Amino acid sequence: MNRFGYPDLGIGLGLRTTHYSHILGNSPPAGWFEALSENYLDTGGRPAFVLDKIAERYPVVLHGVSMSIGGTDPLDFDYLRKLKALAKRVNARWISDHLCWTGVAGRNAHDLLPLPYDEQTLRHCVERVRIVSDFLERPLVIENPSSYVEFAQTTMSEWEFIARLATEADCGLLLDVNNIYVSAFNHSFDADEYIDAMPADRIVQIHLAGHTNHGTHIIDTHTGHVIDEVWSLYADACRRFGDVSTMVEWDADIPEFDVVFAEALKAAVYRSDVREVACA
Amino acid sequence: MRELQTWMHGAIVAPKPPPADDVARRILPSRTLAPEQRLDIYRDMYAIRMEEALEVDYPAVAALLGHHDFHHIVNAYVQRHPSVSYTLNRLGDAFPQFLAATMPRRHALHDLARLELAMTQVFDEEESPLIDANAIAAVPADEVASMRLVPIRALRLLSFDYPANDLFQLFRDDEPMRTPRRKPTWLAIHRRDYSVIRLPMESRSFAMLELICGGATLGDAVVAFASRFDEPPRQDELFAWFRDWTAAGLFTAIEIEGT
Repeated sequence: MNRFGYPDLGIGLGLRTTHYSHILGNSPPAGWFEALSENYLDTGGRPAFVLDKIAERYPVVLHGVSMSIGGTDPLDFDYLRKLKALAKRVNARWISDHLCWTGVAGRNAHDLLPLPYDEQTLRHCVERVRIVSDFLERPLVIENPSSYVEFAQTTMSEWEFIARLATEADCGLLLDVNNIYVSAFNHSFDADEYIDAMPADRIVQIHLAGHTNHGTHIIDTHTGHVIDEVWSLYADACRRFGDVSTMVEWDADIPEFDVVFAEALKAAVYRSDVREVACA
Repeated sequence: MRELQTWMHGAIVAPKPPPADDVARRILPSRTLAPEQRLDIYRDMYAIRMEEALEVDYPAVAALLGHHDFHHIVNAYVQRHPSVSYTLNRLGDAFPQFLAATMPRRHALHDLARLELAMTQVFDEEESPLIDANAIAAVPADEVASMRLVPIRALRLLSFDYPANDLFQLFRDDEPMRTPRRKPTWLAIHRRDYSVIRLPMESRSFAMLELICGGATLGDAVVAFASRFDEPPRQDELFAWFRDWTAAGLFTAIEIEGT
């Protein structure tokens, strides 16, 4: 259990438009759903209706892409107010976003852009995570990014940066195991070392996903099945962090719900309850 | 941090990449990629993301233009109108005006873009409660002229120089899209049970609905209508219009002026 008391919700899925009808019509036995915050902040139409219905039946967590916690523009409190209201409406178990920045001078690239890992950036992010957590009245959960560049001004590893951020800002972590694999490939670091460095009591959630390997680099496309190497990292994470709410992200060429759900259910074999049964 | 972010954002969104030595001062090489190749990953993804976002909102415009022209117009558009919102849903708000300014002879295309923008707006509007079908009939006869009908929020009224709705239907039916001949058309786009509905109209009913939705009382709307068409609406057509509009769920409340 993490230090914040955020519960282990079991195995869940990212909520995607293409699966709305299936979920509402069949009530599949998913443990929970992760909704992309921005898809529901400014709509009073079908997305809002569906999310409300799903929140009546399942635990929901909110996952954002626009907080720009590492950005140098002022925090967007209009966005945060809407996010807080949405979280209250759907009884979100927690709210997460990425360790990244998304734009500058009011312009948004709508990407999860990488940060240099140095003391100045750490201080900046710690302060902003604390402000956001105070505003949302709950500890923010931060996801490790996938990235394709490293900056010359970086002075520490990503895992050291994230571990220190979590401790110094007193926030939770959403550990994206696929992102670790992707960035380890792109930047030639040891993924096991990364996982070993994570503070176990701050891991609130785990992401799994497919990706696209271009040979020279890997892009985090959230498409296709989770590869064996990522499952192996996930097994390490389970041994180290215990049972943590886990889900699969599938955002391109999304197959039928049952295919995505079956992929997510593969995570069950690594959870302690199943491991113990297997060992008995 | 600010300097680095300003530089990198500019490098990602600019039409051309920055000089390689400029990139190499800030970004390290990987085992397999030079600094500028690593930056290009972000540049390429930005262009794809913008095009995908606009194609989601303007699929028929994209189909009418074709992939090549749509790609180029999107690149030009996001240079002029970069996203300034936390959501990509607002990226295309200025697209119809941009098409009108940059492709001034493509009138049917402008109309089609206005139609698709209205559809996205209606899709996301706040839900409104609907008035009961008998609510209008229950208004006392001496108050009917002072009656004001409040439209639902998820309603847009559009008049076109070209049959934009027919063009959009060709796209929906996966039929070949050809620029149609000029012909004035009118359309109400609204949402019912969370579905976006396109309701073709004729000029007289559209004019009356536009007056009503503009806030006119029924009495004032009839006077304005008569001034425009040189005759008041017939009672039977007025009755049929309100019956159809109420059945379609276009109104959320009745107000009586002066009460």
